[in-house]
Amino acid sequence: MDYLGQLLANGLVLGAIYALAAVAFTLVYGVVRLVNFAFGELFMLGAFLTASLMLPEVRLLGMIVPMPGFSLPVAALGAIVLTGALGVLVDRIAYRPLRNAPRLAPLITSIAVSVVLQSLAQTIWGAEELRFPEFHLATLPPVVLFDSIYLSVMDLVVMATALAAMLGLSAFIARSSLGRAMRASAEDQMAATLVGIPVNRVVAAAFAIGSGFAALAGLLYAQTYGFAHSNMGFLPGLKALTAAVLGGIGSIPGAALGGLILGLVEALGAGYLPNGTAWKDAISFVLLVGLLYLRPQGLLGKPELNSAGRGSLLGGASEFGAAWLRAGFAKVDGLLAKSAAAGPRAALVLLALAVLVGLLVPSDYWLRILTMVVIYGMLASGLNVIVGFAGLLDLGFVAFWAVGSYLTSILFVLVLKDQFGVAPADIWWLLYLNLPLAGLLAAGFAVILGTPTLRLRGDYLAIMTLGFGEIVRVVAINWMDLTNGPMGIRGIPAPNLFGIALGSPRAQFFFALALAVLVVFAIARLVRSYVGRAWVAIREDEEAAEAMGVPTARYKLYAYAASGFVGGFVGVFYAHSQQYISPLNFSLFENILLLMLVVLGGLGTFVGPFVGALIWIVFLQLALDLPFVQAYPETRFALLGVVLIVLMVFRPQGLAASARVALTMPGARPGALPGARAGRAKEAA
Amino acid sequence: MSAPSHADHALPVEPLLKVAGLAVSYGRIRAVDGVDLAVEPGRIVSLVGSNGAGKTTTLMALSGLLPLSAGHITFAGEDITTLAPDLRVARGIAHVPERRRVFAGMSVRENLMLGAYSRDDAVDIASDLERMVALFPRLGERMAQLAGTLSGGEQQMLAIARGLMSRPSLLIMDEPTMGLAPQMIDLILDTVLEIRKQGMTVLLVEQNAVEAMRLSDHVYIMRLGRIVHEDSGANIDPERVKSFYLGADA
Repeated sequence: MDYLGQLLANGLVLGAIYALAAVAFTLVYGVVRLVNFAFGELFMLGAFLTASLMLPEVRLLGMIVPMPGFSLPVAALGAIVLTGALGVLVDRIAYRPLRNAPRLAPLITSIAVSVVLQSLAQTIWGAEELRFPEFHLATLPPVVLFDSIYLSVMDLVVMATALAAMLGLSAFIARSSLGRAMRASAEDQMAATLVGIPVNRVVAAAFAIGSGFAALAGLLYAQTYGFAHSNMGFLPGLKALTAAVLGGIGSIPGAALGGLILGLVEALGAGYLPNGTAWKDAISFVLLVGLLYLRPQGLLGKPELNSAGRGSLLGGASEFGAAWLRAGFAKVDGLLAKSAAAGPRAALVLLALAVLVGLLVPSDYWLRILTMVVIYGMLASGLNVIVGFAGLLDLGFVAFWAVGSYLTSILFVLVLKDQFGVAPADIWWLLYLNLPLAGLLAAGFAVILGTPTLRLRGDYLAIMTLGFGEIVRVVAINWMDLTNGPMGIRGIPAPNLFGIALGSPRAQFFFALALAVLVVFAIARLVRSYVGRAWVAIREDEEAAEAMGVPTARYKLYAYAASGFVGGFVGVFYAHSQQYISPLNFSLFENILLLMLVVLGGLGTFVGPFVGALIWIVFLQLALDLPFVQAYPETRFALLGVVLIVLMVFRPQGLAASARVALTMPGARPGALPGARAGRAKEAA
Repeated sequence: MSAPSHADHALPVEPLLKVAGLAVSYGRIRAVDGVDLAVEPGRIVSLVGSNGAGKTTTLMALSGLLPLSAGHITFAGEDITTLAPDLRVARGIAHVPERRRVFAGMSVRENLMLGAYSRDDAVDIASDLERMVALFPRLGERMAQLAGTLSGGEQQMLAIARGLMSRPSLLIMDEPTMGLAPQMIDLILDTVLEIRKQGMTVLLVEQNAVEAMRLSDHVYIMRLGRIVHEDSGANIDPERVKSFYLGADA
């Protein structure tokens, strides 16, 4: 009983913090229908800013900077105001130009903003933890309830602050003129404009308040756990989003309820489940997935919000941009359109180019980098099947990749080598068996994961798949017997063919290229078939597709299966090429990176994923030569984020979008399968 | 009747709203091209035409919801061509949109209060609320009810009242009778006359050309994004209107 009471008390503190951050998500989602992933980072900035303002001096960018040394309340107020202003700035720069863009664009932008803010924070405050200064209230002796439940004074302050902030916000939204304007803008932006509400300013106010709440949650979190760190916002951000969805996104009481439930469940789970602290992150996501399955609109949400994700995820051209920029894109488009018209010949030329590069590049270093380009291009192609062709935003794709990598690694290393003492070279053929096997296994996983998501749309779908991805990652970390846990699996053999080792960088590059030809060919065949047409119909308008008699549920599952197959298939090669895997390789960040690559290159195109991978990975390497980047390596990610934001604002459809597959009837352009000729070309080579 | 007659322009009054060469494009499609309008104070002017003629697009450009590709809008002597929508409301243009678009999840009172968002005179807002109740007693009975639960006609009353709450000098109404029962149509149109009697200037878009002509001091006929004919409401020849609707060029 005492133990339970203590757990409940801890859960309430954590729940209060989640609830505050959940309010940020819910408020902004309610007004502009945007899941602003960047709130996790504003949460982190709230903590850093408060801690910095409380200290006498802070090391910023490596220099000691004198700070005012305020007390906690003053510093907190300052941090909340600064973060709120930053939120408004982010909205102005990154989101407002996309107010009428397809729904994927602002979502990607918010992820990019998140990456930028996190890398900037790491650049400014460094990669180490910043100890959160002790406030004098925190030094008081704890309050003891029922003789056995200990609550520090600060815990009580956290709960009281959260309660007051949420009641205040509720009253503000319900009573004030601005609150009324927010609700009006949430309901009907055009009507709100017509009655004289400056909607942009109202949205900015929602961002300011939301960001302030995120900062408050962050500083309370840092206060409770005693530190601030540049990636401290990631998991609590996801949890807060989970809490918001749990309660029904868009509803403030819902966010409070969701936060409390999540905090309590996590505290109880950590306390009572065997090895509970390790699994507590999975608990929230299991809860999320289960709830979305049973009640897609959340506990207190209104069902119609869930259909808000109607319409194509992909967009057309943007109206923004200077003349020279648009002229530049027009030239690219012309070139792409010409090569798309050339179809198979263009694919052949690209392949020949890749082969030539593979033969001529002298350095092993660059061959390894190019192999990574091909691997990431293939993985992005797999993700592209589900996002670019079927239009379903999937943030759990890494799980399929992980399934493939782990299957082959466990078989080769943990089972055959460690338990039966079989030398990997004797069973080189197992790799070739594992490729399709892992594909099938991952496809099976994908169907299992896909089935409960069939009823969901848009952002909800993204959040549920994100939950799945995180569950798989937590399992990979904690199921020590199966996966070797966080230590990962070492000594995965390099690919081998009839006893000929293919471990050299050049051999690996050509191995990857051959697999890429297979992958692109298979995807091209699928997309050019009736399956692909059904996918595109679902992508463009799911309701219309259903009305036309497309069994959307079945085709969505096909898309999951195809995408999962590619993930598992490529995962096998990835493991053998890297020779070491750990759960860190399959984080949400990797998924986001893949998504960015696809968007960068162009959703729904065959070359787009490879273009995106090439640009990104080569950029990462080249950036290493810049002196600024050498001093602050994290800024590379910030640069990528900036590039993505600019791209989203000026060219939301992706760089190679004009190569987007036009789905004409198969008879209309005989032999126009770019992959088909490419496949034959590979045999010839 | 080749040239438009200007019999109703007996008094040279400075128009409250003047539109010159208005053009609006959706991407590459020009929906409205070279529209000239003049709305004199205290009058009811209507814009009629068949579906897709560009009437609603014109109104949306007037209230700032759509950017102009060409042309100028002058309101009360001020050029408002590039003014933000909320500032146009503050200057005195209220737009009652097509299909009413009341805030369904908010109460009738809240809807009316939102109509007065551009104002900050609490006392006058309270007295205007009473004025609206006097104009539409049905709304008075339902002040606390959610707007989405009102009937179509009641929602239209609410939309008009919401527009009036900003104390406009020009009331723009887009298809106020659409989808309403016949008695309700009469009631709404009577209200339009009543509001005008109180000194309001009205710019009305109506598909029901006969009603619009009966009601209006001046009528513009639009077709394919252009004004093809204009005349005083009394002078306009119904047969000619019919020919514009049916597309036969007279």
